[in-house]
Parts: sequence; structure tokens; C-alpha cells
Amino acid sequence: MSLAVAHRPPTASEFLARIARARCCAAITVDQKLDAAIASRAEVMFILRGNGLDLSSAVHRIHDAGKLVAVHLDLIAGLRADRAGVAWLARSGVDAIISSHGQLMPAIKQEGAIAIQRLLLVRQNQMHAAVAAISRSGPDIVEVLPGVILPDVIHMLPKSNVPLLAGGFIRTESEARAAVAAGAVGVTTSWPPLWDLTID
Amino acid sequence: MTEILHIRLPLVYVASDGRHDWEPPSALEAGLLLRDTDLPALIHRASQQGPPLAVDIDTVSGLDADQVAVAFVVQRLGIEVVLTRRPQLAAGAAALGGLGLLQVLAFDSTGLLHALVSHPRQPRVGTAISPGLVLVHLLPEELGRLPRPILAYGLINTPEAARSILVRADSVVVRPQIAEQMVPAPVPAVVGYRRSATRPATS
Repeated sequence: MSLAVAHRPPTASEFLARIARARCCAAITVDQKLDAAIASRAEVMFILRGNGLDLSSAVHRIHDAGKLVAVHLDLIAGLRADRAGVAWLARSGVDAIISSHGQLMPAIKQEGAIAIQRLLLVRQNQMHAAVAAISRSGPDIVEVLPGVILPDVIHMLPKSNVPLLAGGFIRTESEARAAVAAGAVGVTTSWPPLWDLTID
Repeated sequence: MTEILHIRLPLVYVASDGRHDWEPPSALEAGLLLRDTDLPALIHRASQQGPPLAVDIDTVSGLDADQVAVAFVVQRLGIEVVLTRRPQLAAGAAALGGLGLLQVLAFDSTGLLHALVSHPRQPRVGTAISPGLVLVHLLPEELGRLPRPILAYGLINTPEAARSILVRADSVVVRPQIAEQMVPAPVPAVVGYRRSATRPATS
């Protein structure tokens, strides 16, 4: 008889500590790269696509491997980016929920999950409005996209205590290191060779 | 016989709301990209002498996102270069003899591929990639998927960044003070032709 240890959802600081231990998080789909991500050094998996109504198996596999999982509510299929979608993901056992919709951040926290808001960098004048919106919505973490340009634009972002992740087009060791050096606590990348990278 | 209308696409566009005059330095062949403006300002700017114009039609308050608006811009105002996030409007600008630039948001590699699925991929419809700063980080195969001409649009905040992007793009959008630091200017591109080997001064 095996005794399964129930997964305890992490606090935001525990989640961030796991990223700090392995700064390259694995960006995957449910159908692709899950096995490779579980086998890698990455401690947090970011599921960006897949069937949002059938996530339990993947979530359990990730937790059984002692890792954490974040799911992108806006991109996953089958779920609407609203409070009910947030509740579904939380009950599926995901540790963190990602969305570009700031109004969902309080709901995500209320469900006991880590709230990650995406900051989409397009133009400078739009960026200021987006940053102001983030300061109102109060996420636990902000994921900046495309993260590869974070080193070039970090000086344009207002100082904030909200931890940053960098995601998007990060495909080399130097790009990952540059993003962390610019101030990101970690990066999200679908580039498997980076999942085993050590960045202090 | 296929007629090719030669629309001059300057290597540098200066972003503007059209309410303030801006003249490029004499050594710089630059255009104005009108964005975040309104219909009266757009009409006023189109009636003035000055640099060649392009318009980000999705950001002009008072203009609907439909073919009537595109026809007004291209045929009545004579603005031949039209940026839009809507594929059918980009194709509409092309059908009227203009150049449509479909704005493609490039936040990650998967999203870029998804965004390009809806590109009309027809003559006279190019790509405005945002943020333009990301262009230097694209893989050659990703760059090869972008229908030309390519306009790099957004977060290009230094002359050095603009010049490095112009190695891959046909044109860049910058603020006036950045454009003024980019002289001497390279030879402008002509739509329908591969640009010559001339490149902006990079060092």
C-alpha cells in the first residue's frame, strides 16, 4: 500500500523560492514536452496550451515529481478567462494562474493560487498604462513579454516590488542570463536545453 | 500586364499624432506615422506639405475599422501606407492601390506563428511587427515567414537599436529625437523591389 502525500499549494514566496533555485521555468503544452520538462532541472512548469478541461493528469504528474505548475488561463483551450475559469483551474490543483486580465488577479488569490499577470510590451505609451493597471490589480508576479527585450526596456518600467518573470523568445543561455541580470527572478522558456541551466 | 505601383517606404518613420509639425533633417529621408490621433487631425495633416505619411488606422478615433474608412484614407486623403491589426483591412488597402501592413504582435515564438496564420500573404501586404525591438531576436526561419516589407514598430528607443533592426527590417518607427540622431540616412526602400545593399550607417 502506498501513502500518497497530498500536495500543499505553495505561498507566493515559496513559489518564488522554487524559481530562484532553478531560474529557467519550462514553458510547455500538455501534449508536448511534459516528459522532458519533468525530467529536467526546472522546478516550475508553465502550461501555455492544451485542454483546460482535462488537466488533472498532467497536474498530478508534475506534483508527483515534486514540481509546481502554472497554467495560462487566456491561452488554454476550453476555459473562459473569467472567475469560473479561475475556480476550475484552482480546483484542478494548479499552483499558479497566468492571465493578462488584471481584474482576475484578486479572484485568483481568493482561490488560493498564485496570481501571475502578463505585461505585454508593445509601445512605450501603452506600456505606462499597462504598468498602472498592474499596480491596481496587485498580482503576485508579473511576467514580461517578450522577455528577451527586458534588458533593453527595464529602465522604462517604473520601480516596483512585484517580482518579474521574463518570457518570450528566450532561447539562448546569454538571453536567459541577461534577463535575470536585468532584474527578472527567472525566465519562462520553451527551449529545453535551457531548462537545465544554472543561473545564480 | 501586372502594374506595380511604386510606393516609397522611407527607412524611418517618426511616430506622430499629427498635431505638431515635424520636418526631418535634410539628410534624413523620413516619413510620419500618424497614430493615437483623431479624424480632424488626420485630415489636417494629410492636407499639408511634408514628409510621406502612413497611418495606424486602428488608433484613429472617429474612424471605423472597415473598408469605407480604408478607402477614405487611401483614396481621399492619399495616404498610401496603412497599418492595421485586421487582415481584411490590410488586404483592402492593397486592393485600393496602397500598401497594407498587418500589425503582428510578437510576444513569443508560438504566438508569432499563430498570428501569422491570418496574414493575407498577397502582394502589397507587408508586416508591421510589434514590438519592433524583438526583430533582432527572431530566428532566420521566423524572419523568413514575415511577408515583406517589414516595418519594425514599437520600443525602438536608440539610434543604435534602430540601425541594428534595419539590417532585418525595411523600415523602423522611432520618436523624432531618435530620428534626428540617425543622419546621415540610408537610401529609402521602394516597395516591390529588393532593397539595395545600402545600409544605414552603423558605425
